[in-house]
Amino acid sequence: MTHSATTAAVNRFGLGAMPGELAQAGDARGWLQMQLRAKPDLMPFAGLPDSVQIIRREAEYRQQRRRARADGGQRPGKSADMAMAPPTAAKTVGNDIARTPLQQEIRRDALADLALRYRVAASTSTPFVERLVHFWSNHFAISIDKNSARLLAAPMEREAIRPHVLGDFADLLAAVETHPGMLLYLDNAASIGDDSMLAQRIERRDAKRKLGLNENLAREILELHTLGVDGGYAQQDVVELAKAITGWGTPLRRDAQNPAASAFVFRPGAHEPGARSVLGKRYTEGGEAQGYAILRDLAVHPATARHLSLKLARHFVADVPPTALVDRMATAFLRSNGSLPALYRAMIDDDAAWSADARKFKTPEDFVISAMRAGAMRIDRRPLVLIRLLQQLGQPTFTPRSPAGFPDTAADWASGDALRKRMQASGMLAEQLATARKPVELAADVLGVDAVEGPLAELLRRAGSPQEGFAMLFCSPAFQWRV
Amino acid sequence: MSGHDHRTDPSRRRFLAALGGTAVLTLWPGLSPAASGGQTRLVVVLLRGAMDGLHLLPPRDDADYLRARGQLAVRDALVLDGSFGLHPKMAFAHALYADKQLLPVVAVAPPYQRRSHFDAQDCLENGTASPGGARDGWIGRCIQSMAASEGVAIAQVMPLAMRGSERAEIWSPPLPRDLPDALMQQLQPLYAEDARLAPLFADAMAAASSDMGDTQGKSGRSAFRLPDAMAAAAKRMRGADAARIAFVEDSGWDTHRGQQLALDRKFSELDAGLRAIRDGLGEEWSRTAVVIVTEFGRTVAANGSGGTDHGVGGVALLAGGAVRGGRVIGDWPGLSAGALLEGRDLRPTTDMRAMFKGLLAGHLAVPETALETRIFPDSRAAKPLSGVVNA
Repeated sequence: MTHSATTAAVNRFGLGAMPGELAQAGDARGWLQMQLRAKPDLMPFAGLPDSVQIIRREAEYRQQRRRARADGGQRPGKSADMAMAPPTAAKTVGNDIARTPLQQEIRRDALADLALRYRVAASTSTPFVERLVHFWSNHFAISIDKNSARLLAAPMEREAIRPHVLGDFADLLAAVETHPGMLLYLDNAASIGDDSMLAQRIERRDAKRKLGLNENLAREILELHTLGVDGGYAQQDVVELAKAITGWGTPLRRDAQNPAASAFVFRPGAHEPGARSVLGKRYTEGGEAQGYAILRDLAVHPATARHLSLKLARHFVADVPPTALVDRMATAFLRSNGSLPALYRAMIDDDAAWSADARKFKTPEDFVISAMRAGAMRIDRRPLVLIRLLQQLGQPTFTPRSPAGFPDTAADWASGDALRKRMQASGMLAEQLATARKPVELAADVLGVDAVEGPLAELLRRAGSPQEGFAMLFCSPAFQWRV
Repeated sequence: MSGHDHRTDPSRRRFLAALGGTAVLTLWPGLSPAASGGQTRLVVVLLRGAMDGLHLLPPRDDADYLRARGQLAVRDALVLDGSFGLHPKMAFAHALYADKQLLPVVAVAPPYQRRSHFDAQDCLENGTASPGGARDGWIGRCIQSMAASEGVAIAQVMPLAMRGSERAEIWSPPLPRDLPDALMQQLQPLYAEDARLAPLFADAMAAASSDMGDTQGKSGRSAFRLPDAMAAAAKRMRGADAARIAFVEDSGWDTHRGQQLALDRKFSELDAGLRAIRDGLGEEWSRTAVVIVTEFGRTVAANGSGGTDHGVGGVALLAGGAVRGGRVIGDWPGLSAGALLEGRDLRPTTDMRAMFKGLLAGHLAVPETALETRIFPDSRAAKPLSGVVNA
């Protein structure tokens, strides 16, 4: 492996070099493979509230608000609605109007959750695995501009994605599709079988009130999460899958009060009875298990293998990855019966993933995280600044505005406006830097000696102050790429 | 998804253009600036998430509508004509209608009809019959085919609709702080060595000076909503050298639940957005057409959760001083059980491309050859909708 393989491992497969990291990754493939052997580190997140607690608190908050309204008094803070209806992370955590203690608590924890996400990204010693966490989090995107899911995106990443990122795809898939964040974001929690007991009871009581099937989650499972849009499914498969997962829901207000409540609730009364047929295969009635059985088959379907391999290769290698690489990855995935480490290894073992023209334009989040790693920055201590910065750079945290997630090619991110915003951000990032290194030394630490010699080194040596030099490093063309 | 990506590389195209204007054919032979539409302006507004046309433009007193929608039916619509009303939050739009400056088009949809947001938006934006039909957009190709016209998208990422032209820019609100230009200018030799980023660097430096006076949006530090975006577009469309075509986008229209309250708020914003662009354009308004579209309509029946699901046929609004408004156009297929598409959705009767083609031909004087070959390839069956703008 050459020196450029090392920078690729650290800057393209990883999250951008911390000073000293290039030296550790001398054996590029070995450095990545070692990370795949570790167990996912969940410890940093241990202190955060889980989804049940979050749902419970939100239910409490709504009850408070209703009670206050019923008493004819002012709602608990006129600001309540603003706090509770944010289109972006910045609004979820960022408005300063007077709040009730409960609101403050909700806001404080949501902010801590986001801050921790970036602190871990900026400091982890397994950045390849962390990039994989972010990749899957975006693959199974939930966008917090949808009100019902806004507090559950970060919890979904740590509860459903992190534990399974080095496991089987089937387990990752099941964990995500049963997470309250996903069930609320794509409306499955409100989906009720037309012939279910619940639908019939409601109809008897009030013929005008119609509850029924919501096919949103089922459609996205097929289109985005597994087979892909050209994966060979039909509208009928969407409906059948939607029926199979009716009853998969989240705790209601009264359930949430129960201290033993779980974040996933199966409601037999809402489940559409009967056998289902998806992609030509019959699934007998089995209540909650019927949906799992379908997901298990989807997880190892050849179309899923192709879809996941293409997305991974596009994320790690190049906007248009070599078809042969994608094919080999898909084969390894199927041969291992859906093992994610087998899929990752097929990629990093393949010479096509290390070719000289493999490179990716940094997304705004890549840009900020790599700057934080380069400069040992602690801007997560001012999480609001960080959250606003990501929004201004065009990638608001957990807000891709669609279940398809953020796009992943240079055509989507590289523009004059984007570059200008990065220049504007560079000065602020440079001010946060805590290093005794000179700009030209830091540049070599993170981009590699070869990339820095010549005009960039010249420019950084000439800089009027270290801070100016660091700012120039961050807005240099070399820093915009994962090469 | 396919392993191949035929996306236009904007910097490469721009690079070629810089080598010599004749290297890239952007002029249609014999087309003078006057013939290409003079000073007319076009604003395309995309409401992402599938805006519910039946909620915006309810068919008043239609028994099928009232039955299918139940409690969700809009019963206090502002009267437009004998058949349709406008949602009560759209008071400014209603006044435009009275001034013959608002023209709703009913039962319209892009050619793609399979109910995926992302595919339908791609299809609407790329101007072909399918989601993967092109990697650039019809607005981008339109700008590219017009002499010396520029476009601006108010967005943080270049939307597909405007890709494919080196004369299309994006704009979003600036960050509160900035580095000195002189410092950045020192990076120029480095960027000159990066063929992909060099033209973007030039754009970035040029944009730095034009941002003076722009704010993040009136409503607060981080809120930048549709009315702010419309005002920003208007600002970039005023004057002789301004952009002639603008693209504005908005999201949050996917109302599977709690539709009534959500759309009260969204329609208020949409209405304020129309007012903002009318006010912002000043005298240009008389030469402007705004077209507001969404990727598809929603199910005719309300779902079980106070909302509606993905449907097909929807509504478009044309507005502006140049629009021949004060009437509702489009063939209305009705909402009776037999009239619905697949028993659930409003059947589209107008291909959205026909509407766009009518606008480009009538309002921007784009010649038929360009429309049929480059901007909307293989769309002859979708004949341009005529008479949507004033002659």
